[in-house]
Amino acid sequence: MSDTEGTEPASTEVQEAKAKYVGFVFDTATFTAEQDKMLAWAESVGETDPRFTDPSNPDFQAHPTFTASLVSRRVLPEDFPKIGGPRGIDGGKAVVIQQPIRPGDRLKASATIADIYEKTGRSGTMTFIVQRMSFVNQNDEPVSMVDWKMIRNP
Amino acid sequence: MILDLHTHSVRSDDGRAKVDNYCQWIRKKELPLDGMVLTEHRQWDDTSDYRDLEDRYGLVILKASEVETDYGHVLVFGVNEDLVNSFDFARIDNPLPEVLAAAERCGAFAAPCHPGRRNVGLFAHYERKGVVDAVHTVEVLNGGSIPGEDELSVEKAAEHGYRGFGGSDSHIVSRIGFCATEFDDTVTDIDGLVAALYGGRFRAVSLREPV
Repeated sequence: MSDTEGTEPASTEVQEAKAKYVGFVFDTATFTAEQDKMLAWAESVGETDPRFTDPSNPDFQAHPTFTASLVSRRVLPEDFPKIGGPRGIDGGKAVVIQQPIRPGDRLKASATIADIYEKTGRSGTMTFIVQRMSFVNQNDEPVSMVDWKMIRNP
Repeated sequence: MILDLHTHSVRSDDGRAKVDNYCQWIRKKELPLDGMVLTEHRQWDDTSDYRDLEDRYGLVILKASEVETDYGHVLVFGVNEDLVNSFDFARIDNPLPEVLAAAERCGAFAAPCHPGRRNVGLFAHYERKGVVDAVHTVEVLNGGSIPGEDELSVEKAAEHGYRGFGGSDSHIVSRIGFCATEFDDTVTDIDGLVAALYGGRFRAVSLREPV
């Protein structure tokens, strides 16, 4: 922990980044919900519900966290500043389920920065960058939203 | 009555506990708590309504905030619209004297939490930047403290003549009630809590199971 915890410059930097980047789409990507990948993901997370593990199930669909396995080409906007320090930590992903994803669905994802914020704790000042991937299907219906927290600290 | 004055729910970015699950845990484990105060990080939760849970479980559930200042984290009880407009709850560098003054002006009660935390607590900042005169009360028992931190909080609070309260600082259900505050008076709403805190008829209690 440094003596510079919570000082003005870092906060100003974050405020400027928020104003410039939050809410703007910086990348798009398309995916097809392939049955094999859906099954592999369900197996990898230990799922046993046949809706997610048995293609013959009449309600077969992707596991609710399947979209957390899909990533855009860019993690951050091209000119995103190096705020918060050089060390990065994966702060985890949160998934909002909006519609079932079925085999063969064509998904379009839009990547935005949903939030940038700071907090202080035992390890000092940490900067949180939240990347949001919003998925719609071939009918333009929202199916899933994944928020990925990236933590940076000095 | 005994209230846990420092808890976080899923409304906090690092909270993993639903308020309903806190209530279930308190009742299942027969904890001697009469209620809890949700002190979400860097925000004022103006929307959540826990009155149904209060009725269902017979617990007092109040809302407050944990804000961040240049002297460490501060719990603010009795948050209202005036106070929300007085400083930016989302910032991590609010000047402590301004937060304390704003709270008093707006009829709220603000007090530093985990002040004995190494490097980042109030007393570590005192050593580097000097004492803040407006501090009157601190959280002397914190459920997230590591050995030595609460002892330092108690020692330094006594040295400065501060009153002390307790809170679990729980982020998951199984940690609620590790520390709490016992009040001589009955508290049923946030105004009553603020009055009880200003009245000073309370003490920090540790409810940790013996190791």
